[in-house]
Amino acid sequence: MRLTFGDTRLLALAAGAIAVGVVLFLNASRKQRKRKKLPYKDESDTVYVVQIPRGKKVPSPSPFPIKLETYLRIAKIPYENVFARKFSSKGKIPWIRHRGKDVPDSQFAIEYLNEQFNVDLEAHLTKEERAMSRAFLKMVEENLYWALACYRFIHDDVRKADYPSVIPTWALLLFGRRIKKYAWGQGMGRHSVEEIFHITKLDFEAISDYLGDKKFLFGDKPCVADCAVFGMLVQVVFNQTYSPHNALIKNEFPNLERFCWTMRNAFWPDWDQILAA
Amino acid sequence: MGSWLSRKSKFDDTSNTVYLMQMPRGTRVPSLSPFPLKLETYLRMAKISHKSILGFSLSSKGKIPWIRHRGKDVADSQFSIEYLNKEFGVDFNAHLTNEEKAVSRAFLKMVEENLFWVLVCYRWFFMDPKDFGFSKPIPWLWLAYIRRMTRGYAYGHGMGRHSEEEIFHIGKLDLQALSDYLGAKKFLFGDKPSETDCSVFGMLAQFVFSNIESPHCALIKKEFPNLERYCHTMRNTFWPDWDQVLKGDASSTKL
Repeated sequence: MRLTFGDTRLLALAAGAIAVGVVLFLNASRKQRKRKKLPYKDESDTVYVVQIPRGKKVPSPSPFPIKLETYLRIAKIPYENVFARKFSSKGKIPWIRHRGKDVPDSQFAIEYLNEQFNVDLEAHLTKEERAMSRAFLKMVEENLYWALACYRFIHDDVRKADYPSVIPTWALLLFGRRIKKYAWGQGMGRHSVEEIFHITKLDFEAISDYLGDKKFLFGDKPCVADCAVFGMLVQVVFNQTYSPHNALIKNEFPNLERFCWTMRNAFWPDWDQILAA
Repeated sequence: MGSWLSRKSKFDDTSNTVYLMQMPRGTRVPSLSPFPLKLETYLRMAKISHKSILGFSLSSKGKIPWIRHRGKDVADSQFSIEYLNKEFGVDFNAHLTNEEKAVSRAFLKMVEENLFWVLVCYRWFFMDPKDFGFSKPIPWLWLAYIRRMTRGYAYGHGMGRHSEEEIFHIGKLDLQALSDYLGAKKFLFGDKPSETDCSVFGMLAQFVFSNIESPHCALIKKEFPNLERYCHTMRNTFWPDWDQVLKGDASSTKL
């Protein structure tokens, strides 16, 4: 068969398009391989904490990495942050890697580290206090978290919150839609704005009333519940300072702001230095 | 329209009776959901005149239970209790100190927002539906639909991302916290029941009386026997007619 000039041009165009496609694919694969090479030294005892990059007002816009990092600092466990958008096997962040073992979920990570490093931040508590510590931990992470998430992602403009600039706006908005769906299933998303504010207020009141004049929740030494409460409250006290929750804390529960400063000064003396420029 | 009218005719909005919309009775517990059991226990504790309407009529928030009182519908068990506290001048937390009220709220939320999801995951993912204690077998299409919906909800919540062993472990830690705090006390905060006792009982009754084949029931019997003792205390005090209610009595009517 004899090729016409038109056929030849078409073939050349097709070959060119295929060549460009192959180059783009190889480039993307190279970038993918480069992303996968995270800096773990599995032979050392260093704990790697994988989390999203720092914000400008808070070390993380999520409460769980702050909880985990605060725990590591209190327990004086050597750790290194890996700032990456690499989610755990459970599809979430933060997670840790230690001696080649990946542990997703901040609470399972803490239980693992307690065992590995022989740490028990609750050793000084009575049995009843340990029980109350668990109850407050769960109230904050399974109730207050959803109330604040609904405010940040559904009732208010999420772009006002402090997020690292590497996270594009479209990703934040997409995540917000997911939170809306999750919050409906969880239950909090079925309540009105006023009802959710009321639930938040009752949780703040409980933490404030229990904390009272004490330095930490259970006296002069912090425990894991303090890390969780701190991680959650800094989102209101230092991150979303424009929110009605911030005004609520300043007006009615000032000991919660005092608690945040105590935790920050004690365990994050480098707070200002580590924030994003 | 017909079912709406039949629902409407069950209510006498001029009386002070509180109508409690909840699922049909189970064969082992008055409700297979902890929230109607919590709410009904509260109504009995407060001696508020009430009548249960059994069916699947969902609230404005798409859930059960909900209440109707003098023509006003209130969705959600906790908002219902707050409403009823105000309407009837009830306060089961009046005898608690501020710290105890705070701890009460923390346990309420631990039980309803964490232990609840352990119960849900175990029931719908790891147990045989024959062991639930429903009064009738669940049609397989309904079962598939509910399991699919629950998987989505549990995944979004977070509990659904864990393995069966991890979920069991989370449940164990919650049960341990309840057991350690209760200790030898009659109720959570001493000799008088408080509002949170209704919720804790509603949840524990599912493990102790309903899911008797589950590993959490075995765990309670072996390691946390005071939780079983507590369930019997609440049941004997506020549900002396437990067996009659399960058989079907005048306290409830079908939708």
